[in-house]
This record gives sequence, C-alpha cells and structure tokens, in this order.
Amino acid sequence: MGQAEAIEKAKKVKFVIFDIHGILTDNTLFYTQDGVKSEAFSLQDRIGIKALMDSGVGVSFLTSKVSRDVEQMAKIYGVPPDMLWGSSAKMARLDEFEQQSGLKDDVICYVGDEMIDLGIMKRVFFSVAPADGSPEARAIADLVTKAGGGKGVARELAEFILKVQGKWDQLVAHYQ
Amino acid sequence: MALEKNINDAKERAKKIKLFAHDIHGVLTTNTVFCDVEGNRRYAFWHMDGFGDLSMMANDIKPVFLDSTSIDGEGLYRAKELKLDKMYFAVTDKTAKLEELKKELNLTDDQIGYIGCELSDIPVMKKVGFAVAVADAIPEVKELAHHVTSAPGGRGPIREICEFILRSMGKWDEWVEKVTKMGYK
Repeated sequence: MGQAEAIEKAKKVKFVIFDIHGILTDNTLFYTQDGVKSEAFSLQDRIGIKALMDSGVGVSFLTSKVSRDVEQMAKIYGVPPDMLWGSSAKMARLDEFEQQSGLKDDVICYVGDEMIDLGIMKRVFFSVAPADGSPEARAIADLVTKAGGGKGVARELAEFILKVQGKWDQLVAHYQ
Repeated sequence: MALEKNINDAKERAKKIKLFAHDIHGVLTTNTVFCDVEGNRRYAFWHMDGFGDLSMMANDIKPVFLDSTSIDGEGLYRAKELKLDKMYFAVTDKTAKLEELKKELNLTDDQIGYIGCELSDIPVMKKVGFAVAVADAIPEVKELAHHVTSAPGGRGPIREICEFILRSMGKWDEWVEKVTKMGYK
C-alpha cells in the first residue's frame, strides 16, 4: 500500500480503535510470584492519544478482556471508561459501536497486529499495523508504522493523521 | 549457524500432535527474573503465546506446562488464566511425567510434542514425536530438535509453533476465519 493512499485515507478518519496488546505494549506480560500481572505501556503513546482526542478524533481501546492494568492505563491516557471495550468478538463489538454512535466503517481507523484483528482491519476504511505486527496484519494494513508495539505506535499514528488533516501545527503551536 | 532441518519431516511429525508440552523458563519466559527491592520477583511472558495455547485447545491439542526449575511456580498464574488443566511445576523427571500423561490420556509417543531450550530438556526431547527448540535454545537442543522457531523464548514461540502445527494439519485457515469473525471464547 502506497504512502499516497494512506494519506488520502487518513484524511477521512474520525475515530481510531486501538488493539492493546502488541500495539500499546510489546506483548510482554509480567507476573510476580503472587500472580500479579503487569504490562509496560508507552507514555509517548499517551501524548498521541491525547492529541487525537484534543483534535476531535475519537479513540477507543479494544481487547479481548479488560483487566485492571488496562483500566489503569486508560485512565492515565485519559480515555473514558466507556471507550474501553473488552470482547474477543471484535467485529460484533464494532457493529454495536457503529449502531450507538452513528459512525460508519468509512471514518474508522483500526490498529491491530494479529490474526484476531484481520477481519476488522479488512473491514474498516483505514487499517494500521505496527512494524513488528504479524506478517498477515502488515500485509493487509494501509499503513505500517515505523514504531514497533509498545514503542510509540499511537504517537506516530496520531502525528500522521493529524498532519494530513492539517491539525498538527495548531497542536504544536499550543506548546510553543 | 543455520541449522538445516527437514521441514517436510517436521510437518509430518506436527500433523500427529495431540499433546504439546512447554518448558517454562526460556520458552514461555525470556529466562529472566526481575527482583525488586521489596522482595518481589517478576517473570516476563508473551501475550500472544496465550493465543497460541487457546488456539491449540480449540483444535483438540492439549497444551501442558511442564517445568523442572521453577522458583515460585511462575507460570501457574499464566496457566490458570488460560484455563489449562495440565500444569506441572518443579518436575524432576519430565520424561516420566510425560510417560504418565501418555498412559492417562491413551496417547502414543508420536502424538506428543515438546518445546524446550536447555540441557534439562534433552532427554524428553529425544523421546517425543515432535521436538521443537526456541531460537535462542542452546546448540545441543537446537541440534536434536525437529524444528526450531524463529521466535526466542518469551517472545512468541508458542504462537509460532501453534501456527506451524495447525498449518501442518490443514486447520489453520479455517481457524483464522473463525477467530476473525467470532472471537475465540
């Protein structure tokens, strides 16, 4: 998929759905001796997610099961609890969201890395995979980020989308 | 050193698998223990290896955690989360344990697979029908394995070998279609 096509697609995006594991994390799960699970989330991505939301692009997280570490992360990223979706039937969850929100596939971006994401990646208008996503996900993605999972995928994508939408400079100006 | 493996032989072996056992340290984990100042110990697993185990279960292959050197029974919580029914920790004789399981489940050696990385895995890997080594296994283990994953320990070898087995069986495409449409629960 050419860069020009990705740019055209990114222009229309109003909502970005992120898979969590392998996108906002590098897939690593830490367990303590007492079974307490933890994961490493990128704080760079927090800036990306915030930039999208501040610029009027909606964000949600979609994973097969929402656990407390993910809840914490969503809070830190500033994503509201109703935008934290737990379902391994990802297509059905998207149907539900589209019915509620009135948004359609043609304004939705999905970021995924694995088998379970392929159906939804083919379906939405703009699909994105991280540099270290599975070969199948990278093959069908409209855009493959330079960043690997957990290393700033959301930050990179936010900048890409907001630049083509002409919203990035305004955001940067805010900090200058 | 690139090891020449007979991929067709590996596929033929993979086709027959009904039980697939994993070593824990260096296979499911990165072989690292993080010790913090409060006395907690942490082990790093790989999210998508869980998908590998769930995919095996959904396709009638029984994943088994089989560990000989656990410190905290690490992997126990991971196994519980994945709802595995067979998990064994601090097993001194893995070959005997698999022999026991083989009888209990009425299996033959060629229906059993094992993935390992270290010296302690060698006897059991010599016994099973399909022996797999992770990319960063010791040379002796890679030497005797029928197949070596491109993923190192703790970075997705189960996800990878699961795909290899299900592809060998001709079940992968159907499984992927099912998962992408309906999820896997």
